[in-house]
Amino acid sequence: MLINNEFNEQKIQSPLRYIWLIFKSKNIAVVAMWAIITLLMVTLFTPYIMPYSPTLQHPDMLLLPPYWAEGANPAHLLGTDDLGRDTLSRLLKGIQLTLAGALSITLVISMLGLLIGATAALTQGVKASIMHHLLDALLTIPTILTALILIVLFGMSYENSLLAISLSLLPQFIRGIYISIENELNKQHIIALRLDGARNLRLLRFGIFPNILEPLVTLLTRIFTMAILEITTLGFLGFGANANEIELGALISKSLELVYLSPYLVLFPGVAIFLIIIVFNVFAEGVRHAIIEGEE
Amino acid sequence: MQTLLTINNLCKSYRRSSGLFSSNLQSAYQDINFSLEKGKTLSIIGESGSGKSTLVQTIAGLRTQTSGEIYLKGKALSSLSLQERCKSIRMIFHAPSSSLNPKATIGRILTAPLQLNSNLTAIERDKQIKETLSLVGLLPDYLAFYPNMLSNVQQHQVALARAMILEPDIIIADEILAGLDISLRFKLINLLLNIQDKKEVSYIIVAHNMNLVRHISDHLIVMHEGKIVENDLTENVYNAPQSSKTKNLLQSHQPDYRK
Repeated sequence: MLINNEFNEQKIQSPLRYIWLIFKSKNIAVVAMWAIITLLMVTLFTPYIMPYSPTLQHPDMLLLPPYWAEGANPAHLLGTDDLGRDTLSRLLKGIQLTLAGALSITLVISMLGLLIGATAALTQGVKASIMHHLLDALLTIPTILTALILIVLFGMSYENSLLAISLSLLPQFIRGIYISIENELNKQHIIALRLDGARNLRLLRFGIFPNILEPLVTLLTRIFTMAILEITTLGFLGFGANANEIELGALISKSLELVYLSPYLVLFPGVAIFLIIIVFNVFAEGVRHAIIEGEE
Repeated sequence: MQTLLTINNLCKSYRRSSGLFSSNLQSAYQDINFSLEKGKTLSIIGESGSGKSTLVQTIAGLRTQTSGEIYLKGKALSSLSLQERCKSIRMIFHAPSSSLNPKATIGRILTAPLQLNSNLTAIERDKQIKETLSLVGLLPDYLAFYPNMLSNVQQHQVALARAMILEPDIIIADEILAGLDISLRFKLINLLLNIQDKKEVSYIIVAHNMNLVRHISDHLIVMHEGKIVENDLTENVYNAPQSSKTKNLLQSHQPDYRK
């Protein structure tokens, strides 16, 4: 089809493929991507890879250190806690609950937020201003405080803490989406598409969405990071997961009294939270840069 | 000669706040009357801020007028549906690099108006797109390209193809010649004139360069501070300008001025 077949290797690539090509050249981001895939696998298959049940107690092996320290037992790779429960199993279970919670919060927020934000940006007049000025007022309250108030209303449980966090993070996301769509709406190609007779949905699908990928990625990462921090904070404060549900924050708070006897019990969940956040942020930064470079 | 577009007493004013609580009405243009015939070219010139861009945007449907009415083939524009309006009046913006969606292929950009405004099947659409591309002098290969892969003048050609694809009666070109160098400018002008010959389309062109305007247009309107100060056949305006504004504009483009 092309007139000049001599340069056949220079195929025309869609923007997404082009972004993927640039992304592949960024080593750290690719490492982060594999780390994320591993984390997701761990989350999905936790019951099968846990060596013991996280609540199973081994009365003869209390407070064992991890395998590299003296007096360790190879049956418990990362040691045990004061009731003889396996630390590795509890850590995996904790990662599962925290990560799955944060991911589902991000998913719910992104769908609801896109819906509300796009409606607010595309409609005019009273409806739009109610939608975003009302939410602007909510932005003045710190999200963790909103989440705490909501969880007192809902009652304490892991599911309710997820709900409360979603609701508390929603206004930020809507605001961000609203601003980026609003910026895009004033561009000339959108006006041209309007003059082609396009209605709002088509405008959103072909005109706006492909052009707001970069702010969208930034927003989603921020929401995800905050979701992880808030889930663990609520768990740490004892407002989230109850005694049977092990969640990274709750794991830290329960091990806090043992910190002098066995510091590993606090260390591992803390490192896990840190790693999850840093891995996702490095990945998102790589994607963002790939998108920016792809646009140029 | 068939009259396509008639504009009667068109006015536009907007409120501008001048203090904390006070605001005053400022008019973008007022008492605009003119008509356009089929297959003719009408040029609008004037200083920056004289309301010419706002005026053509109103005709294209981007803004609404405060009072007055635009008639298209005898029917008031406000009574037409968006689709009917799209089919007969199309607009080309001055910077094609920003008026073409950077994330869509040329094919998609050209398909959109057909999908939205006609009942053609996919095969008929394809045929129409290829015909329009050859009309503006582009190869069908470009359909798979993205706008940033094309040169400036090719982007202009795509923008023109997007305007022509619905076979409209009127094309509005808002300062499309401003960003091009002289040879490309003539290439685009010849393209516009060729298309006019073949398809009998009318143009409304907003421009700055008086000599170019003289070459392409049949009718000339000079605007100043929102009012029409000169409205006549191009040759009449050039040979016997009535208002001092027109004289000034003409003088600034005299060749001996630069000696």
